[in-house]
Amino acid sequence: MFLRLVADSFTRRPKRKMLTMAALALGMAVATAALSVSLDVGDRLAQEFRSLGANLLVTPEADSLPLEIGGVDYRPANAGAYLPVEDLGKLKTIFWRFNIMAFAPILETQVKASPLAVDNVPDTRGWPEIPVIGTWVNHQVKIPDGTTYTTGIEKTNPWWQLKEGRWFEEGNNECVVGKNFAERHGLAGPMGPSGASAPASAQRSDLGPGSELYTYTGNANRAPGPALHVVGVVDTGGPEDDAIIVPLDLAQKLAGKPGVYRRLYVSALTKPEDAFARKDPKTMTPAEFDTWYCTPYISAIALQISQELKGTDVRVIRRVAEGEGNVLTRVRTLLWLVTFAALLAAALAVGASAAASVIERRTEIGLMKALGAGSGLVAVLLAAEQLLLAFVGGGIGYCVGIVLARLLGERIFGFAPEPKMFVLFVILSLAALITLLGSAFPLRRASRYEPAPILRGE
Amino acid sequence: MSDSPMFWRIVRRLLTSNYSRLFVILLALGAGAAITSALLNLQIDAKRRLTTEFRSLGANVIIAPRSAGNGGSSTSSSADETDARQRTMDEAMLAQLPTEYERKYVPAVAFLYVIGEVAKAGTLHYEPAVIAGTQGQGLTEIRPGKRTGYSAELASDPAACEVGVKAAGQFKVAAGDELLLRNQGRQASCKIFAVIATGGAEDTQIFAKLETAQELAELPGRISLVQMSVTGTPEAVKQFIANVSEKIPGADVHGIKQLAEAEGKLYHRISGLLSATVVLVLILTSLCVMAGMSNVAIERKNDVGLMKAIGGSIRRVVRLFLAEAILMGIAGGLVGSAVGLVVSIWLGKAVFGVAAQPRWIVYPISVIITVIVSIASAFPLRRLASISSASVFRGEA
Repeated sequence: MFLRLVADSFTRRPKRKMLTMAALALGMAVATAALSVSLDVGDRLAQEFRSLGANLLVTPEADSLPLEIGGVDYRPANAGAYLPVEDLGKLKTIFWRFNIMAFAPILETQVKASPLAVDNVPDTRGWPEIPVIGTWVNHQVKIPDGTTYTTGIEKTNPWWQLKEGRWFEEGNNECVVGKNFAERHGLAGPMGPSGASAPASAQRSDLGPGSELYTYTGNANRAPGPALHVVGVVDTGGPEDDAIIVPLDLAQKLAGKPGVYRRLYVSALTKPEDAFARKDPKTMTPAEFDTWYCTPYISAIALQISQELKGTDVRVIRRVAEGEGNVLTRVRTLLWLVTFAALLAAALAVGASAAASVIERRTEIGLMKALGAGSGLVAVLLAAEQLLLAFVGGGIGYCVGIVLARLLGERIFGFAPEPKMFVLFVILSLAALITLLGSAFPLRRASRYEPAPILRGE
Repeated sequence: MSDSPMFWRIVRRLLTSNYSRLFVILLALGAGAAITSALLNLQIDAKRRLTTEFRSLGANVIIAPRSAGNGGSSTSSSADETDARQRTMDEAMLAQLPTEYERKYVPAVAFLYVIGEVAKAGTLHYEPAVIAGTQGQGLTEIRPGKRTGYSAELASDPAACEVGVKAAGQFKVAAGDELLLRNQGRQASCKIFAVIATGGAEDTQIFAKLETAQELAELPGRISLVQMSVTGTPEAVKQFIANVSEKIPGADVHGIKQLAEAEGKLYHRISGLLSATVVLVLILTSLCVMAGMSNVAIERKNDVGLMKAIGGSIRRVVRLFLAEAILMGIAGGLVGSAVGLVVSIWLGKAVFGVAAQPRWIVYPISVIITVIVSIASAFPLRRLASISSASVFRGEA
């Protein structure tokens, strides 16, 4: 009989119920979309922030002071310490290995170069030294567990963009030149400070894919190095625009330093630093230390890297890490706020329509009471109806909301958030709670109704 | 309208006949208006704040000498005096730099780099290091970092310097110690007032006063470059760069591509995300309020039936209900939007640490939106036009 009454109320006035349900479904749809996006957006945004580049810098611990101005190290090639390349695979064995998004080792050296094969033994004494940056692009790194991992500078420094051509391939004596270098030295001839020594017969054209660069190493003249095939021109907006970029092994050969690098850039996904992360790990209790170690704070990842790569000094690139932390925390708070607003709006609307649907059924309530139903039974009956509405409306709202969240996610991040069961659970309980709360007040009044005046229409 | 007093009297009775219903409707409308105005205001404020937040990434504009491109192509040891002069600028250009852009303060710091030799006072072990002379509002404004052992009284000393954390480790010095600097026979000394860790090249450098570096390099009045931190949207920063390079034709003014690209991308993503969620929430808030109110409106069919029975034309009846809806929309909107603005000020404080500025344009907009929503909610009443009064009174339909 109870179920029949509930079912009857739905079939008798489908339009009215539809309206209440529509309000519920709409409200819950916003709530679902906002909740899904907020849950997902933190990770997505953190990944977006990786376009700022590496947030960790690894250098040899026992190094002499780099003489770095504007990104160029003026130390002689034989000064300072180096780190072995073969250790790099270990980066993907640390606790937070999946948070290491990319890494790229750097070895800088200097050569004298000319796009012209002047002759076999030119006098290169007057020529300036050209900075050469050796690094990885699309490099396969062997991980100790037997797999390989592809990484390189194009991932750690995404603003290094090719203006022309393509990136070099390893083992082919290929190189990529900076855009200023290409422009300035398109003039064929030895790259004198003013280019004055260029032969008059040389034709002017920019250095670009297809050109050849003849290198000469060593301080004295006549030590011809390999001839490099230029395959691309890169625009970095930094000092690299004046340099030649080559594969790491080639730079090692040019520098006479096989198997080593000098600097390593690591780009890691991290959790923004909070008060806990700023504590000194040395003063933490063992339990605190475990929590800290197992949270992807940048400082924890830095410690894990220095434990794995012996003899290194891992520093946090503060401008990137702090800027990211600040913006990320704010945006996340803001999104939660908007989500909360959406939930509030949904709650109010649903509550209002639930209240209205109880108020308009005064006559029915009066009739039931006149027929001998107790206040409790009437309340339970109406609550059951509202709950049914909440579950159906909440379910529909969830489905609509997932679609909305997909649309939003795809438009903004090009990535759809995964539907989560957790969200469905939250939405359904929220819908039930809101409808019950919304109808509680009118229900209480309804249970106090005297049937006679209502049936008389007063 | 000849029956104007009567019209308004009926409207008044419509409004006051059932207080609990009036309360529910006003609550829904007011809450909708509050959310609308709070979110609109917060969104406008957040976009503006975001560009300020990005400045924690540090300097984004660099002014260098025109020929700076040659800098990397010759070693400094072989560079002769004229070459060194060519690669610097006259510090008089600092006066030409704007200190404000779009009413936001623009920090600018001038640098002169010297590769000299440095030793801790008392030891005679000199090691090569980069000595950077700085002038302006200080390093921390353009390059975020962690300063340790900062001493304010030492900082005001004319011969004070700041040391990068790696350099401090190399020379085994801490704040308060003295460093000896020399370059090609010229000598200077300075007292360390802080150790700075930025994670960048600064960690290995020594930051002395500009005059000290100029004396060491024998380049009086010259600077290597100027770093500036400009607040604004990516487009505004581009405009700033164009303005400055027009003003200082001899210099090469450029943005840092790394920051410009990432900031631009992030700014558009985040503001897109905010706008999208806010618009979504607003649309659905209005829909929800509408759905809730329509439910209330339909229950009014008794009133409609009665009015029709005593001869009211349907147009008149609808006009009555529209007047009621507009009045409620205005009331709910005025109160709700005001509450929303106040809430958004407080929310701005919670999110950005700075109270959001109320944008007065938001207030009328959210009131208008509320009125539109309430009118739209009265629309289901139009369907009541087909109602026959008799069936209403019999309790059917």
